[in-house]
Amino acid sequence: MDKTPYTAGRREITGLSVLEDQALAMIAALASELAVARERIDTLERMLEDKGAIDRTLIDSYAPDAAAAAERDGIRQRMIAKIFRPLRDATRRAIQEKTA
Amino acid sequence: MSTPIGTHAMLPQANHDEMAEQLFARDLKIWLGSEVEPLQGQLADAIDPGPQHNDRDAEAFARLHEEPAFLGWAGMFRAAQELMWDDIYRSVHRQKDALNAKAAQAADIGSVTIDPDFTAPAYLVDGHVHMMPGGYALNGDDVTQGAVMDRGGAVYMLGRNGGFMNDGRGATVAGHVFAEYPDLKPLKILELGCGTGASIVPVARAFPDAETYGIDVGSSVLRYAHARASHLGVPVHFVQGDAEHAPFEDESFDLVFSAALFHETSETAIPQILAESYRLLKPGGVVVHLEVPARYDQLNLWAQIRAQVERDYNNEPAWQVATSADYDALMRSAGFADPKIGYQDACFAPAPGQGGFGPESKGVFRSWFIASGRK
Repeated sequence: MDKTPYTAGRREITGLSVLEDQALAMIAALASELAVARERIDTLERMLEDKGAIDRTLIDSYAPDAAAAAERDGIRQRMIAKIFRPLRDATRRAIQEKTA
Repeated sequence: MSTPIGTHAMLPQANHDEMAEQLFARDLKIWLGSEVEPLQGQLADAIDPGPQHNDRDAEAFARLHEEPAFLGWAGMFRAAQELMWDDIYRSVHRQKDALNAKAAQAADIGSVTIDPDFTAPAYLVDGHVHMMPGGYALNGDDVTQGAVMDRGGAVYMLGRNGGFMNDGRGATVAGHVFAEYPDLKPLKILELGCGTGASIVPVARAFPDAETYGIDVGSSVLRYAHARASHLGVPVHFVQGDAEHAPFEDESFDLVFSAALFHETSETAIPQILAESYRLLKPGGVVVHLEVPARYDQLNLWAQIRAQVERDYNNEPAWQVATSADYDALMRSAGFADPKIGYQDACFAPAPGQGGFGPESKGVFRSWFIASGRK
């Protein structure tokens, strides 16, 4: 994935600490991630229900095989990169300010 | 957005999860706007220094920054915007090979002219408008930055400006020409600050006999705009250039227009762009500058503060200046003897014989502010 370009001209919100600013951004991203997950589960359940294919009791006893586990690692790692993006962005801004 | 009305071949697609992310960003913005903003307005009224204060709006803006409730809203307002761009950037770059391939398949109409020595104006380089990472001026030999801008624009406008086509402003420019300059038969048209070409396409369609040009500052956005227009079957010549110093001879065009450009420029750029419009027009030609319908001095206190939020925290540096300017005086200074200043009804199907221009705004997305004139 290409790195997102730097956003020039981002002003501090007077009175909002840098860490509060980051925390708000992380909460927004977390909530987004939760909404996506909920929507995907909803899609799955509806499709499976339509086909009469689902036995929900089996979900709790499911164990992924190696390939599925690796794929799930990728999903989780992408989620972490998304939620904690503000930490990376703030650091990049700090570097930009120090080296400009 | 989940049921788009009208789309085009170049629009980046969203898979299941990307669509959910983009709808979330849209709905978070709507919730902040509809559920929290009215309360922020009440808070602003509570700390209002009063109409006798000689710097009322700025003082109220400063006082709000001492209120944690305001800071929480402002922080989340910007977090939602930055989240939206991050979502869209990842989605576009996931499909960049497909987008570039699609661009290469576009009909061989119109053109793109890139200037390798071009320098973008400082106000677009120092502050990326709308917080879009990389900004309008990002140069690239592919279409991705234009795709980010186009998809972002469609989400950002929350479906109020023609859905994925985002073409309401361009259609309204054409509508204004039909309403107020019915004799104009433009054979050469220029848009200043054309972006992804969302506005120039409906103008070109309204005047199919014209040769149509659009200028903007970034090569990636221009390449995308060209592919987008060409896939729509509309020939447009996209040229890298600055609206203050457009790369065309004097008296080259019959119609010069912009669509919500001024509030993304600067206080000194606005009169210069008006003067440049005059220079570029043939005698008898018409200029139409469309802007957001708000006039700063007519706004209530919260709306004025909201404008300052856009200026400072969403990188719309000239929002206040552009909505405060005396366009009648500026147009006259630029050489337009009898400017028309008012509001054009938003329209999506401009047609000869229409009206819809008058002195009153009908509100955001129902009217657009217009400063027009004939050379």
